[in-house]
Amino acid sequence: MGFAISSYLSGAGTAIYWNDMPHSEVQIKVDRGGVTAYCGAMDIGQGSDSVLAAIVAEELGLQPQDVRLVTADTDTTPIDLGSYSSRVTFMAGNAAIEAARKMRTMLVEAAAAKMGVDPEGVGVAGGRIGDFSFEEASILAEARFGTLTSAGSYTPPKIAGPYKGSGVGPSPAYSYSACVVDLDADARTGLVQINKVWIAHDVGRAINPLLVEGQVEGSVYMGLGEALMEEQTVRKGLHKWPSMLEYKSPTILDMPEVETFIVETNDPEGPYGAKEAGQGPLLPVIPAVSAAVFDALGIWIDEIPVTPEKIVEALRRKDKGEAPRYGPPRFPDIPFPPCIKVEPPPKGLNVAAPAAI
Amino acid sequence: MASELGPRAMFVAGGTDLFPKLKRRQFEVDALIGLDFLGNRVQRGDDETVVDAGVTLAAASTTEALRGEFPGYAEAAGLVSSPPLRNAGTIGGNLCVDTRCNYYDMTYEWRKAAGFCIKKDGDICLVAPSSSRCWALSSSDTAPMAIALGALVMLAGPNDERELPVAALYRDDGIDYLAKQPDEVVTALRLPSGRGTRSAYVKLRRRGSIDFPIAGAAVAMTMDGDTVASCRIVLSAVASHPLEAPEAAAFMLGKRLDEETIRRAAELAAKPAKPLDNADLSHFWRKRMVRVVVEQALARAGDQQPGFDG
Repeated sequence: MGFAISSYLSGAGTAIYWNDMPHSEVQIKVDRGGVTAYCGAMDIGQGSDSVLAAIVAEELGLQPQDVRLVTADTDTTPIDLGSYSSRVTFMAGNAAIEAARKMRTMLVEAAAAKMGVDPEGVGVAGGRIGDFSFEEASILAEARFGTLTSAGSYTPPKIAGPYKGSGVGPSPAYSYSACVVDLDADARTGLVQINKVWIAHDVGRAINPLLVEGQVEGSVYMGLGEALMEEQTVRKGLHKWPSMLEYKSPTILDMPEVETFIVETNDPEGPYGAKEAGQGPLLPVIPAVSAAVFDALGIWIDEIPVTPEKIVEALRRKDKGEAPRYGPPRFPDIPFPPCIKVEPPPKGLNVAAPAAI
Repeated sequence: MASELGPRAMFVAGGTDLFPKLKRRQFEVDALIGLDFLGNRVQRGDDETVVDAGVTLAAASTTEALRGEFPGYAEAAGLVSSPPLRNAGTIGGNLCVDTRCNYYDMTYEWRKAAGFCIKKDGDICLVAPSSSRCWALSSSDTAPMAIALGALVMLAGPNDERELPVAALYRDDGIDYLAKQPDEVVTALRLPSGRGTRSAYVKLRRRGSIDFPIAGAAVAMTMDGDTVASCRIVLSAVASHPLEAPEAAAFMLGKRLDEETIRRAAELAAKPAKPLDNADLSHFWRKRMVRVVVEQALARAGDQQPGFDG
């Protein structure tokens, strides 16, 4: 068995970008009971659409299926910087909360006025706002305020201290994962069979636990593929495995049982405390596989993919009394440019210093 | 029609090997001749079972007519490629499947950059540049099993029909790997009745599905009490043709199926196998694995109940 932990920050230690504009924006329109949310966020299968609908519904006391979404259209939706860097739930989620709460405030105020009570006394849940159905409340609000639209946006906070770097707009939340791999390794053939993977992921808060599990299992799948099969090698100046037939990803027959543990630590900056489940869970899978191979056979494969032929070769070296490992002998000599030292910010500084250096 | 159209025409049944190769411009043709008219039945008789060439690999792997009496053959058919491809691919096609090589099964652009090889558009073998022949690998799973079972293959040409032992269908060359004439079509496979025959096929590949064999062992044997009465061992993906291991098979005769016998037979079987660096994973490792797949196939055949008729 092998065990590994990982910490994940995507892209940079601080969430900088080229300009001062928001990284994600959401607009909400309520039209006599119909709710539409607009956001540039692109759902590439990770479920950002589901998360947006769930957040808007949560704030307005509706069900996700009551929220119509218009997403990922530069003609009609406001900006979202894109599905990378594990940032969409975090940033679009925060923008959606802001927009939805503004809309909720209008609906509650209109309902409260009609009911003759303070807005604090108006409950929002189960498709109802105070004494009214959502549709009735939206009619009251439209009569009171005119066209019902609201907008929200999110820009990561400027963290104190000088920095150097390029603007990629990464997420200011860091996730942590731990993984245990149980495998059988045959000393004669070098063949490795993964029996089971246990993985715990600190997602901050699971807005949709089923989606989070799916993301984590997907990360395990890609991690196993990277640990055991994927290889970018070049022969005669050409990629040796340039198609999906040669550059292999596991099939369903190669996937083991996966047990996922969702850990919720409620990040103060994230929407309802949510952080990410897009990339972090993959990281500990690969070293856990290597560690398990060492536990099984007493040899380290210090590169990926961990293939049977490498295992056999490392065992041969171990039997001959050489170093029981396979992989690059040392870090290559890279001519790094001179190192730029940035001093940590003085304690008590609560204003971001301008970018320096 | 095939003889009229000449070398710019090819036959196609399931197309699961042909179409990808057309895309990569490994084959360049002006016409495709469909083989939909081929029979697709499995007929069991007293002396033999006739499998039409149009039977899909999926059907061959699941039909009781084959699984009962020729479990190794049904197993081999069921291990080819992946479920959707087996629904289209035929047993005739798998017998004739093109030989494969890392330098050949690439797109036109890749091959042009690497330099074409002797099998297609080039002058030398890129795996063994000082050799004058092509070393592309036999990649059929069902062919070694059919050979081990002593099967016959039926060929139909423009003027006549003939039958060959399956072993005679193949030549030890990566380019001219079939003894079939270009205008002949495989019409059926005839498996002699296997009363008492045990058969098993073990396929080595990186993943649990999709991949071609990088080593494989087909074993067919009959027992006399608890000793081996007859035995054939045929290896896949270690040469340009299915490679029979007669020395290993002869060694098995009269012996009991214990661990030591199996181990020594597997060593004998692996000796003539000389894999080159033209498939997935290193050829040193593949050579070592030949022994392992033969051992596994012999052990599996030994554990079987013999295939009974009915």
